[in-house]
Amino acid sequence: MPIVLEKLSHHYKSGPNTAVALEDIDLTIQDGELLALIGHTGSGKSTLAQHLNGLLEPTSGRVLLNGEDINQKGANRRALRFKVGLVFQYPEHQLFEETVYKDIAFGPKNMGLAEEEIDARVRGAMDRVGLEFEEMKDRSPFELSGGQMRRVALAGVLAMQPAVLVLDEPTAGLDPRARDYLLQDVKRLNEEGTTVVLISHAMDEVARLATRVAVLAHGKLVMEGPTAEIFVQQERLAQMGLDVPEAFKLALRLQQEGLNLGNHYRLSDIADGLAAAIKGGDTA
Amino acid sequence: MMRDITLGQYYPVDSPIHRLDPRTKIILIFLYIIAVFLVPNLLMYIPVAAYLVLAAGLAKLPFSMLLRSLKPMRILLIITFVLNLFFATGTKKLLQIGGFVLWQEGLLTALTFSFRLILLVTGSSILTLTTSPVTLTDGLERLASPLKVIKFPAHEMAMMMTIALRFIPTLIEEADKIIKAQTARGADFETGNLMARARAMIPLLVPLFISAFRRAGDLAMAMEARCYRGGEGRTRLHKLAYGRGDLLAFLSILVLYAVILSTRML
Ligand SMILES: Nc1ncnc2c1ncn2[C@@H]1O[C@H](COP(=O)(O)OP(=O)(O)OP(=O)(O)O)[C@@H](O)[C@H]1O
Ligand SMILES: [Mg+2]
Repeated sequence: MPIVLEKLSHHYKSGPNTAVALEDIDLTIQDGELLALIGHTGSGKSTLAQHLNGLLEPTSGRVLLNGEDINQKGANRRALRFKVGLVFQYPEHQLFEETVYKDIAFGPKNMGLAEEEIDARVRGAMDRVGLEFEEMKDRSPFELSGGQMRRVALAGVLAMQPAVLVLDEPTAGLDPRARDYLLQDVKRLNEEGTTVVLISHAMDEVARLATRVAVLAHGKLVMEGPTAEIFVQQERLAQMGLDVPEAFKLALRLQQEGLNLGNHYRLSDIADGLAAAIKGGDTA
Repeated sequence: MMRDITLGQYYPVDSPIHRLDPRTKIILIFLYIIAVFLVPNLLMYIPVAAYLVLAAGLAKLPFSMLLRSLKPMRILLIITFVLNLFFATGTKKLLQIGGFVLWQEGLLTALTFSFRLILLVTGSSILTLTTSPVTLTDGLERLASPLKVIKFPAHEMAMMMTIALRFIPTLIEEADKIIKAQTARGADFETGNLMARARAMIPLLVPLFISAFRRAGDLAMAMEARCYRGGEGRTRLHKLAYGRGDLLAFLSILVLYAVILSTRML
């Protein structure tokens, strides 16, 4: 179910001030894609994410899911939230139940599912994020490590089996291993058919996973396209205070040294290119 | 729903009222509250209300901000009104429906108490809307410091209040975020009967308390790391000083008193 944003604007009002967080965003999220949303701090990424499941209402413009305006009168918002799962920044701060099991079951319970179905979903979600069911189910979520708590929170959303998964900086504050693990999960989910919107500051992460990238700056959509096409525009990204993946920088350096491997932005591609070049050099 | 709480929320614009010394505003509010209680009859609420509107106008507060400060009080207001209306007895019947008698005295007391409540609440919210929490507690501490002689912990009180006020917006923001996160998981805070709603608060309150305790711990640590050791010998960044505006403010409340008291004498 594609999500279409039409001329979406959002203004925050606080006291006498109005902050324009989003302005005239036109963007389509295709079925099955893994779209990365990048942009400097305060560019409006989280605000955009909260429009995708109707938590925020646009000041102007529309959000269409399957061609239906999700904010129109009579639209079923709750049903929408089970279709579009949103994992907030630092989701571990939303844990509240006595046990990991109960916390993950919160979403499915709200969906009104039968007890056996809930159980199956909790097991499935825990398995997916790498939490050992028997070992973890009765533990208090508050005595877990930060990375484990993050996984419980993620499982809590996955257990609703949303068709679209929106992740707001899911790897912020995680150690490299926990981060890789989480990204693996996301990638696997996407390969199995879940549409994913990934908000991230880590360009290497984006380069590795995303099929398409959208760039926000000061509330406007300034660039959008296939990952490779975005990251070659190094200078424009730099102007917006964004970086390019390390691998891309390496490819560029190699180019300056006279070894042209093309505009690669994945470390593995460069490794392949280098290997081919070295082997080629040997035989020549 | 969280944005309705105005008390303790500063409205940051520049105005003559904002610039008054906090001590002046605190004293003025006290005098104003006494004035509200001194009002002898319904008619005399007009000058008090005018005083309030003048202050709000000078402070550049939109009318809606004042109304919003009343919103949490609406139930109390209704109860006050209804109780006074029906449980007072008097001499002049206005209306009789079955066993219920509506007395003129009842109506008058009901109106008096309701106006009193409205004027008190909006008046005090002007203080918090125009004074930043830090300035406010600064003023309180200075006003209460003579009491240190009798071992009243003026500084500690002020510090506690500063911290509490400082964290109100943070907690509101946090609550907002948690509500959204739980709503995203299908939580429903707005429908259902009283029990269902109370139970629906658990997913909000537990994370909120945990984060409040975590913040309190962090703050205590940070304060100790910067060698905070109480008020003894502590110097201040902003010195308070009275100005011409303060003089005018005191004069204005004198005028209000003169008006109210003159009618009392007559
Ligand atoms: N609840 C709010 N009230 C008022 N202004 C807000 C609110 N939330 C966000 N903003 C403002 O809207 C703008 C966009 O914020 P948003 O949180 O969407 O940015 P972001 O791209 O997610 O940033 P970050 O990378 O720091 O998470 C910012 O200027 C921010 O100050
Ligand atoms: Mg954000």
